[in-house]
Amino acid sequence: MPMSRFVLLVAAVLAGLAGTAPVRGDTVQLVNGTKIQGTVVARDSESITLQVTVGGRKFLRKYPLSRVRAVVVEGEPTQPAEPGTEAGRPASRSAGGASPKGGPQPVRRTRAEVEALIERQGRTLPDWWDSVPLEYPPTLDLEWPEPAPGPWNPQRNIGQYLWDVIHPNPGRWRQGIRFLHFLLEYHKKNPEKQRQIMNALGQKYFMLLQDYARAAYWFRKAGVERDDRFWSGVQLAECYWRLGNKAMALDLLDRIEPQFSMIKLLGDMGETDRALEFAQANTEGEGADIAYLYAGDACRVAGKNRQALQFYQKVLEVPATGRFKARIERNHRRAQANIEAIRLFDLLDLARVPDGTYRASSLGYEAPVQVEVVVKSGRIESVRVTEHREKQFYSSLTDTPRKIIEKQSVVGIDATSGATITSEAIINATAKALAGAMQ
Amino acid sequence: MSDRPSHRRTRRPAARVIRRAIQALALAGFVVLLFYVVFPYTARPARVWAGWTPEAVDAQTGRVEAVGQTATSDFAPGQVLYAQDTSGTSAEPLGAFRVLEAGPGRLRIEAIGDLSSDRLDKLAGSFGPWTLYEQDPAAGPSHYARDLAAKEVVPAELYLWLDPLAAVSAALAGRVWIWPLAAAGAVLLLCLLVPRGFCTYLCPLGTIIDLFDATIGRLVRRLRPAKAPGYLPATAATPWRWVKYGLLAAVLGAAAAGAMLGGWVSAIPVVTRAMVFLLAPLQTAAVRGWHQVPPWNAGHGISVALFGLVLALGLLRPRFWCRYLCPTGAVFSLGSALRLVERRVDQRCTECGRCQAQCPFDAIRDDYSTRPLDCALCRTCQSVCPAGAIQYTWRLASTSQAVSAAADRPVDRRRFLAATGSLAATAAGGAVFGWALRVSNAANPTGPSSPLRPPGSLPEPQFLALCVRCGECFRACPNDALQPAGFEHGLAALWTPQLVPDWSGCEPSCANCGQVCPTGAIRPLKIDQKRTVCVGLAVVDTATCLPHARQEECRLCFEECSAAGYHAIEFLRVGTEVDDRGMPIEDSGFLAPVVLAERCTGCGLCQTRCRAINVAQRGLLAQSAIRVEPR
Repeated sequence: MPMSRFVLLVAAVLAGLAGTAPVRGDTVQLVNGTKIQGTVVARDSESITLQVTVGGRKFLRKYPLSRVRAVVVEGEPTQPAEPGTEAGRPASRSAGGASPKGGPQPVRRTRAEVEALIERQGRTLPDWWDSVPLEYPPTLDLEWPEPAPGPWNPQRNIGQYLWDVIHPNPGRWRQGIRFLHFLLEYHKKNPEKQRQIMNALGQKYFMLLQDYARAAYWFRKAGVERDDRFWSGVQLAECYWRLGNKAMALDLLDRIEPQFSMIKLLGDMGETDRALEFAQANTEGEGADIAYLYAGDACRVAGKNRQALQFYQKVLEVPATGRFKARIERNHRRAQANIEAIRLFDLLDLARVPDGTYRASSLGYEAPVQVEVVVKSGRIESVRVTEHREKQFYSSLTDTPRKIIEKQSVVGIDATSGATITSEAIINATAKALAGAMQ
Repeated sequence: MSDRPSHRRTRRPAARVIRRAIQALALAGFVVLLFYVVFPYTARPARVWAGWTPEAVDAQTGRVEAVGQTATSDFAPGQVLYAQDTSGTSAEPLGAFRVLEAGPGRLRIEAIGDLSSDRLDKLAGSFGPWTLYEQDPAAGPSHYARDLAAKEVVPAELYLWLDPLAAVSAALAGRVWIWPLAAAGAVLLLCLLVPRGFCTYLCPLGTIIDLFDATIGRLVRRLRPAKAPGYLPATAATPWRWVKYGLLAAVLGAAAAGAMLGGWVSAIPVVTRAMVFLLAPLQTAAVRGWHQVPPWNAGHGISVALFGLVLALGLLRPRFWCRYLCPTGAVFSLGSALRLVERRVDQRCTECGRCQAQCPFDAIRDDYSTRPLDCALCRTCQSVCPAGAIQYTWRLASTSQAVSAAADRPVDRRRFLAATGSLAATAAGGAVFGWALRVSNAANPTGPSSPLRPPGSLPEPQFLALCVRCGECFRACPNDALQPAGFEHGLAALWTPQLVPDWSGCEPSCANCGQVCPTGAIRPLKIDQKRTVCVGLAVVDTATCLPHARQEECRLCFEECSAAGYHAIEFLRVGTEVDDRGMPIEDSGFLAPVVLAERCTGCGLCQTRCRAINVAQRGLLAQSAIRVEPR
């Protein structure tokens, strides 16, 4: 088809959609097996055009019929090759809005669909399997006694090896999972050991690859639904939610022993009130710092920045003493970092910055980068780098300030390529200058 | 040819104007090459545009309608872009596209190259956001390399190729054929027509000496009382003429013994090095700031002092260096034995002596005849001769008027033997000196004290033989990661390039040092080859490295290495704490850097950053805790 016709089609379709597009749910299955859900908006003898909604945004996808295996319009299979079919469609079901590659809006699935997905994915090996060789240090004790005897030794104890060597390096994650699969095979005559390994597999698929279907599969095989002795229940619940069924997640959370990580998951799932309620109920014990920290996170996810600040402030008020001194200190640092980020970026309101010239600096490549920001009538008039000792700065010294002025914001500014460190230093320094001046 | 004086008067200045014009052009070319073509900071990284949404995709033709925020002016129809889907945790490459149409915030592009169903389905299955790239992001950055290639219309090292002594001594010392020999041969051929024409017309050092003599030299002479001692009278200087042959003999003797001395005294390396050490820092300071100018060492000082001496000798006589000392000039003088054109004086000569006084090359004898090996065909004598008695004619042309041809006079046998003997002795001295240099260096060929050579350098002995110490690589190197060695690696390594990671690391998008090296001491590598070539190996000092020493979190070296695309540093968690159940506590301990030797090229970016922050800025360490060592 000539480009001009394609453009006309796109324009016409977009114009039509702006007005009275009926809500429909159609599916196109491609020859390669991919299913695309959306609304069929046009079809001719050669192609079919689908409107897909991902993350609240509408997209048009046009497929040649030669690559389409099946078209399902409102649950009714139609012939993909049949030209001009306009089957009568009851406008009933709401659009699925599923994206093949996980858009911002999580997919919604029924319990049966989730169960089927977990089974199907869990029973197959991941597609990267053949490209990752089995590798592990020969010094490891493959018997993997837990808890590990003797002092901490990541070259001997598998759990410690996974923690110290595999976790910190994304390039080794798949290698670690492959190693766990190997251990599962190695211990096939020991069901108790297998449960432990399956749980570890679930954790790695969950934490490292965000492969929720396989994570859920191995958690369930390890019996996490039956008894939560490995403390993986909250992670399994998150898998259910990520796979598209919040009810399954809430149901599981009700059944397992309460733990702090629930606050975070409830917050992420949008159950802010339940999360805060749970947090408030647990601020008396030894984990007050964790409860407040997660409560702050839950508020931040929900966009309640002021409330989040209050919770983070409470984290700082928990004295760092006793058995958990180190943990509390770490949580102090996290809370402090979050407070700073909220103050600098989330809460920045230019309307509340009085007219004036403000200076601040932030660490660049090898020394502080100082900027001077001029604000007038609630607008960033100019951003100027007044001092720096950068090496790879290129145009970032002018480019980043220009972007900040164009956007009138310090959020969502791309770093100038080749000079990321300088760009980020300019953005941070500008944010600091503005936040410091805010009334 | 007319004998009328008026005619001659109009022609004579023309010869001088032409010579000055050619000199100016040649010097300008030299300056442009050194201060524009090889100047690295005109390079800009390939542009990247984030946040484009593929609103409509035609999975049949591969055409895409995308919307974004970039101003239209960034794109032009026909331009090639590379796209990646950046919605996930890792970017998903989507291949190359051609721009069909660009409007405000809109872009129509068409997939090019691979048009398989797999790719087209992948395009249709991607909902963005997309990031668009000017250059293929999979190929890694290459802006410094592309910038030089785009500017290098003629080879950046052209003038160095034209110095026959640099080429001959390098080839002889390294016992290899190098292409600059061919260029040197071409220049020597030019000398058949214009003997020593290189010195009077092309040599940038000669032109700079002329400028110095005409300005500062003249000023000093004017200020000095007449007849003051120190200014050489014309005739007294004659024995000096042999010194340049002595230097040449010594350089060739050393080269025969396998040591490179040519770069120390050859004209073009001397002037290039001086420009790079003296003026390049000023340019860098003006364009990039003083903080970018590396400190000087003994090598800088000696080179600049040598250049100063070359100029200052002009206070004794104009072009003192060229006529008496320059060994490159000596090569041209010897080449003049095959000259086709020469200067002749006819009977109109009134023996006024002006030609002899003015000759910048001491090429006129007391009887006003020509010393053919020294005559540079500059025509200065012709332009000052009041009688018009000086002609430049074909060597073999007979002229009845000639009273004094340039004919080589019968040589005094004793003087000839003395000259030959002393030259042979000098050559032997050069050979012994060269041999001593080589041996002193071979005593310590590698080890922790040996310098980090630029990527693609030949093995050390061969490198030292071929490197003419011209300084081009320092000029071409972004951020002055390459700096000249002083005496820390011995006299043999003086002025040779070494990577100084404490100052700056080797830029991954650049392979320019090899591109501008005139002799191939640094092999000319393509950018993707260069990124795999090892300069050394980074070694972490676990006793001082902040996370290893359990002092504090630090990811500087890791960030640098990842950003450069080498991914040669990974983490090991050290100091993990455990809870009551023996389980590790999240976030406890420190992520400490570990170098993967098979991926590390020794570029030194890690060391630069560690030093800049942890040593210079924060004062936590005495020296960088990750250091590049020779492999």
